Amino acid sequence: MTKYIIKRLLGIIPTLLIIITISFFIVRVAPGGPFDGERALPEVVKRNIEAKYHMNDPLLLQYGRYMFDVLRGDLGPSFRYKDHDVNFYIFQSLPNSIMLGVIAISLSIVLGITSGMLASVKQNTWVDYLSMALAVVGISVPLFVIGPVLQYVFAIKLQWLPTSGWFTAGGDWKTIILPAITLAFADFGVIARLTRSSMLETLRSDYIRTAKAKGMRNSAIIFKHAMKGAMLPIVSYLGPAFAGIITGSVVVEQVFRIPGLGKFFVQSSFNRDYTLIVGVVIVYSVILVIMNFIVDVVYSMLDPRITYK
Amino acid sequence: MKRESGYQMKNIMRKKQLPQTMNEFDQVVKGNSLSKDAWRRLKKNKMAVISVIIVSIYILLAICAPILPIYPYDEIVLDHQNLKPSFSKTSGELMFEKRLADLYTQAWRQGRLTLSEEQNAILETWIDKNQATKVWDYMYVEGNRQLESGTFTFNTAENRTVNNLKSKIATDLQITVDTIWTTDPQTGKKLNVEKLSTEEIVNLYATMVGNTPQQVITQYTVEIEQQILKQIKSESTGLTEAEYQSLLQADLAGFSQKERDNLTKDNVFSKIAAIAKDIAASDLKTAATDATAEFPLNKEIQIKDSLSASVKATKMHERRYYLGTDYVGRDMLSRIIYGGQVSIAIGFIGTLTSVLIGVVLGALAGYLGGKVDYFIMRVVDIMYGLPYMLLVIIAMAIFGRNILNLFFALAIISWLTISRMVRGQIMSLKNQEFIEAARSMGASTPRIIFRHLVPNSLSVIIVFSTLRIPSFIMTESFLSFLGLGVQAPYASWGSLVGNGVGGMTLYPWKLFYPALAMTIFLFAMNFLGDGLRDAFDPQSKNQL
Amino acid sequence: MSKTVTEHTYGNMLEVKDLKTYFLTDAGIVKAVDGISFTLKQGETLGIVGESGSGKSVTNLSIMRLIPSPPGKIVGGEIFFEGKDILKLSESELRSIRGNRISMVFQDPMTSLNPFLRISTQMIETIRLHQTISRKEALAKSIDMLKLVGIPAAEERVTNYPHQFSGGMRQRVMIAMALSCEAKILIADEPTTALDVTIQAQILELIQSLSKKLNTSVILITHDLGVVAGLCDNVCVMYAGKIVEKARTEDLYKSPSHPYTYGLIQSVPRLDKAKNGRLFSIEGQPPNVIDLPPCCPFHPRCHKVMDICRTQYPPTTDLGGGHEVSCWLYGAGKEQANV
Repeated sequence: MTKYIIKRLLGIIPTLLIIITISFFIVRVAPGGPFDGERALPEVVKRNIEAKYHMNDPLLLQYGRYMFDVLRGDLGPSFRYKDHDVNFYIFQSLPNSIMLGVIAISLSIVLGITSGMLASVKQNTWVDYLSMALAVVGISVPLFVIGPVLQYVFAIKLQWLPTSGWFTAGGDWKTIILPAITLAFADFGVIARLTRSSMLETLRSDYIRTAKAKGMRNSAIIFKHAMKGAMLPIVSYLGPAFAGIITGSVVVEQVFRIPGLGKFFVQSSFNRDYTLIVGVVIVYSVILVIMNFIVDVVYSMLDPRITYK
Repeated sequence: MKRESGYQMKNIMRKKQLPQTMNEFDQVVKGNSLSKDAWRRLKKNKMAVISVIIVSIYILLAICAPILPIYPYDEIVLDHQNLKPSFSKTSGELMFEKRLADLYTQAWRQGRLTLSEEQNAILETWIDKNQATKVWDYMYVEGNRQLESGTFTFNTAENRTVNNLKSKIATDLQITVDTIWTTDPQTGKKLNVEKLSTEEIVNLYATMVGNTPQQVITQYTVEIEQQILKQIKSESTGLTEAEYQSLLQADLAGFSQKERDNLTKDNVFSKIAAIAKDIAASDLKTAATDATAEFPLNKEIQIKDSLSASVKATKMHERRYYLGTDYVGRDMLSRIIYGGQVSIAIGFIGTLTSVLIGVVLGALAGYLGGKVDYFIMRVVDIMYGLPYMLLVIIAMAIFGRNILNLFFALAIISWLTISRMVRGQIMSLKNQEFIEAARSMGASTPRIIFRHLVPNSLSVIIVFSTLRIPSFIMTESFLSFLGLGVQAPYASWGSLVGNGVGGMTLYPWKLFYPALAMTIFLFAMNFLGDGLRDAFDPQSKNQL
Repeated sequence: MSKTVTEHTYGNMLEVKDLKTYFLTDAGIVKAVDGISFTLKQGETLGIVGESGSGKSVTNLSIMRLIPSPPGKIVGGEIFFEGKDILKLSESELRSIRGNRISMVFQDPMTSLNPFLRISTQMIETIRLHQTISRKEALAKSIDMLKLVGIPAAEERVTNYPHQFSGGMRQRVMIAMALSCEAKILIADEPTTALDVTIQAQILELIQSLSKKLNTSVILITHDLGVVAGLCDNVCVMYAGKIVEKARTEDLYKSPSHPYTYGLIQSVPRLDKAKNGRLFSIEGQPPNVIDLPPCCPFHPRCHKVMDICRTQYPPTTDLGGGHEVSCWLYGAGKEQANV
């Protein structure tokens, strides 16, 4: 087990190196950046960047330095803003995004598994049809449609919830409800459908028949025998789900005006603030890579058949 | 508890049967190809059939967009900003209503239009809740009532505004000049001005403006030079004036006499056309004001001397917007159809490209195995670990926001899953006998891959591609929504929704119609994909 | 339950009467089991033989009421166990029988044990479902049972996961689990089909010795006549959802009456006969049992086929000594066929 974890940890390294390398070349090569002299940068910023990256050094040395800085956790100065460096802006907004993401993914997992289980146990009843209809909505309708529609119905028409804002920025806790639901919707759909189909398949399997032949109750069979096996596809879906949450949060933060990393990201991509964009991508990638790692470990703990060789 | 179907048995049995026995043993078993079988199953699936119909309608609309009787998607009519959708009312009526509601509301604010305490309270709560639409609608009805009953009258300025608007709505025309004719004074023959020679056009124009032909030519030579200079300056920046001049001279030297003539001709002709349009406009406007002409109108108008023009004219404010207009008065219906064209095209072509890349790489990895496989799969693994959507955003930020870049960025990142799937399929197929047979007969590797292996994985590829199209469209719309994808004046569903979000309190139709159009299509595509998957692979029912 | 008592014959552990189990599929009604009757006596081993799809497994799943429904449905018949009709029991009464009074061993030991749970968990759970004893006692009992079925180092292996056992060992675990509550009837559904030949003999021997030791009645489902010959007291031969011949094992081998049984026995390779001759085989395949016309389903493959076989199903004839056969060649049917 420990061996397996170490092996997976080592597997993370090339991914991170590639991300950082891509980042380096984006900052360096990107047209319209500060280095081809076309765009006027604030003098201070320009000097900062030049000093930071030792622009006149050989490329390899610059690359090495950049790599070292990033690994140390220093993402460099912003191209746009001269007051603070990239780290400052990122870590100011990151907690908001993490909060939103965690709530959304928990919502989608809990609701998705619950409704998927209900649908599979009550197959071909209204419970099944309702939860699958919701799931299809989650899968088919993009969240930039779901978000505004929810906003229109619940915030503007019914006035139950605030349209936008964020509780750390002066709004109340209700501000988190609509963004979290919006963000959770897509993954909810996938998880509910996955749960349903994998549960149905598990319930048809031989070992469930054995459990029935033993004289077990249906509820006990579902929770003690079927659950564990049926959860495996859901666990392996969680990797893509995290990626989806990250991507989705970019839109959701935009729609609901949440001061998170995603909103920052879009802004800086309009500003062509490359160091900031790249910084955000590195942070996102690291989160994603860690999440994927955790998912893999959880999976291997759930399935005793996986051998750690 | 599956039963053996006993097909072979039936075939064997047939020869032993007596002719008079009619039971299940002597039924001839018809061979069914996989695709035929799948088609039969698909037809049974109601949702899938409905989806096929819906998708076909969408595609048909997208393809036929240029010949549909809709307004151009990029035509800006500033008078028609944010008009609400209406089947019964023309744009002029809607404009008028809007204006009146505005005037009534102002009058109410100024205290000239008085309402009961109750009414005031209702309006105040609406205003508090930011529901301006309700206020306007209410004020429009209430104002009209009071105007009729005489408890409220417009003041002079308001009266003038209303009358101006009325006459504007009645007389604003949209005029297109189709052809300009000239009648030869000697022969009386009518000629199309556009088809005349340069010399003739110049002469014509010279007589029109009362100059000599020579003067006209000199004037236009200067104009053309200025045009070219402007172009040069926009292409290369940072040169001195002298350098520009030398570039210009070099360019001009490169022109032949004929090219020069053509340039002159084009310039002069557009001038004539502009004059024709002006004259026609003022003519028709009088006609519209006096109500001496019927609109829409299509007739020949005398311009000057021997010139006449075939002109089409419609009343500007008789347009109808079934789905409303956007913030610069463009027709939403037309924008949704053209936006659909862009979205669907990107969805289909993008999917095709990514599937092609994925199939080629996946097939190579699966068939060749070894180092090639290892390398391709490592690339796939690593790219899977990246938040690729964000990389697409970066790519758009760096390389510029246009459709082509968007398309490439999407195609490059979306071949991963399909390549993995094809690889798996190929690996399971490649050790089967028919591949051995092909190999033993000396078939080349590419032949084996693309004539034997890929066709056998086709059902998987088709199903995947169908499910891929909606997600491709979603990705494209996602970027366009953020403003990083398709740029105005072009539209895509994503950018339309994105534009609609801002003003959704006041103009909800700008959000809902594009969202609805998109949602229906995505639903249909998803159901179609599910249906296809179930049809091709009935065992994996409801698998994702 | 007065009716039950009068009809129930003493000494019979299980009595199946005119059982019908149908599957409602898109293609039509599949009569997987169509009116079969048999009895199982205390301590007896009954073999049910037939080709794949003849309805053997469905019969036994029907006894446990484990038919997946939909599409399956028991549409008629009675199954008496200990004086009660199983088909009329409530869910909870049924659960107290399953795994406790009647237990099952399935065909594929690879998939029949839950791969995600330890053997100990699965065994303790079974025992504690039907007996009120502590976990510790249940564990001790599980280890005893594992020892009984011949698992070496049972104390350590009880905490293993199923994938850590070989196929034969897993089947032993299944048997241990099935017998851990001293079941009255053990239904073994092709318990050796998925195993190596050498292991097969061991498992069958184990079933035989344990059933003697614990006085358990056994229903052994198989398509292997050799297995039946060695183990069973009585045999039912099934074809297309019906029992075509029912007899004591010796009688069946001595005088196979139904052409199908005859064919089955002839097609078993034997060392003492026909070294130079060709192996006998029954031509063709069993029929699709969807919408079967009223006829003897075996007639297309039968070498003694008569006209009547094609239009009518034969009645059951008692050849004496409990030897019953459903074929137009015998008894009352014979005259009818010749008319």
